[in-house]
Amino acid sequence: MRRFGRILVRVLAVVYFAGVWLDGIGTTIDSKLLPRAVVYFFQVSALFPLAARATIDYRAEGWVCSEKRWAELDTTPYFPIDTHSKENRFNRVMHFARENHKVMAALDEYLVHQHNTGSSDDDIARDKPIGGVRLMSLRIPIPEVGSHIERFSQRPLADYPEDQRKRFYYTPRSKRAERCGVRVETVE
Amino acid sequence: MIDVAFRRISQWLDEPVSTLRIEIVRVLAPPIVLAFMSARIAHVGEWIGDAGFRVPDLGDDWRQPLYVPALPMWAADTIGVLMVASGLAVMLGVRTRPSALVFAATLAFVALSDRLAAFTVSKLSPAIILAVALSPAGSRLGIDAYWKRRHGGKRPKKLKPVGATRFLQLLPVVMYSASGIAKARGDWLSVPLVLWSQLHSSLQTPIAFALATVLPAWTWTLFQGLVLAFEVFAPLWFGLRRTRPFALVFGLGMHAMIGLMFGPVIWFALLMMTLLVAGYLPERFLVPVEAVVKRWEKKPAAKKATVE
Repeated sequence: MRRFGRILVRVLAVVYFAGVWLDGIGTTIDSKLLPRAVVYFFQVSALFPLAARATIDYRAEGWVCSEKRWAELDTTPYFPIDTHSKENRFNRVMHFARENHKVMAALDEYLVHQHNTGSSDDDIARDKPIGGVRLMSLRIPIPEVGSHIERFSQRPLADYPEDQRKRFYYTPRSKRAERCGVRVETVE
Repeated sequence: MIDVAFRRISQWLDEPVSTLRIEIVRVLAPPIVLAFMSARIAHVGEWIGDAGFRVPDLGDDWRQPLYVPALPMWAADTIGVLMVASGLAVMLGVRTRPSALVFAATLAFVALSDRLAAFTVSKLSPAIILAVALSPAGSRLGIDAYWKRRHGGKRPKKLKPVGATRFLQLLPVVMYSASGIAKARGDWLSVPLVLWSQLHSSLQTPIAFALATVLPAWTWTLFQGLVLAFEVFAPLWFGLRRTRPFALVFGLGMHAMIGLMFGPVIWFALLMMTLLVAGYLPERFLVPVEAVVKRWEKKPAAKKATVE
């Protein structure tokens, strides 16, 4: 029994190493043979294989019903883990699922609900409900080597030119109008 | 040929190694993992509970390894408490093996439960702690070892075959090798400033900023080349007796710089440094530690003799 256990542990170790190595070098053999939940634990070695084309930061805006305009919404009160770094959960959900409509719609619901229940200070006045969100990435150019560089800081959205903003998701007009309790034509 | 290779691998696996090596991992890995988890545990409701945003069930989507629904707050709090208590128990050597099993299970659960807050430490730590659970960790150092000796238990062996130590020695080498190949297949051979391009994100520390300001461009390309050569040929550097100490020093230096330059990555860096020290610290550096442990092991017995 003890010998059998030892052999089993060794076989599992070999499978683990093979999985880590194969996944790291970019093959998909492991994901064809094993469940995703197992392969997930093999994904530990392909770290920073590509050059960054830009510094990415994700942001949100809320549609302020009373003012009929978009205003920056600070998401950190609603995603309090590792705020101000790209390891924050808001940044992560945008990184992984910005092109998945189901996830973006769930995020939309969550942010609107959180703001409108007035639980935290998020840079839009608590007494001003929002009808939807606009979610985007900022694509800040990497400076040239030897040029003047600045420390990374999260400045207000207005400080970044339009060409550095890439929008991925808008709450549909009809939904914003419904949440704001107004007719669709009155929403931009 | 295969037979010979298999026999040599078996011999290497069964060769006695210092049990202090696994004790180093047992003592250092849990606090590093818990420190990484601390920001998450502080917001356990947002993390794995029903107080925060949850990615909905995506069915067969590759982005979701397994859909785990949000836990009610009491259950999320329980997982948090279990994780901290079992992690501390492993570190202190209290019921080490069962504690390590519980710790590894909680780590695996949270890694699957919330992919958004899961990083390399989240995915790597269950395997490391499981290795500790399957080893004689805690038999030489720690509270249980102390009580066992006080009650007349036998002094544990200094050297014995420990498969888990071999596993933890191989783990960083397998990771480096795969990581090096991934980098070579990515941009590292074609873009000279990959490292430079990574310095400007929100992970940037004051040290990263200072180095980016003062170092000339060619140094970043040089570091990039050195890291790539180290990782791609890691099996060679760590496999050959002559290059092993240099590989250890380079690996520790590389991880120290990663930890100092990319804020939250420090916990990953420290975990990897722990594996390198435990796995590859030359025996002569373990001798003084061994002497201290030996003195500590003698104390309770001497006390018992005096009482008798």
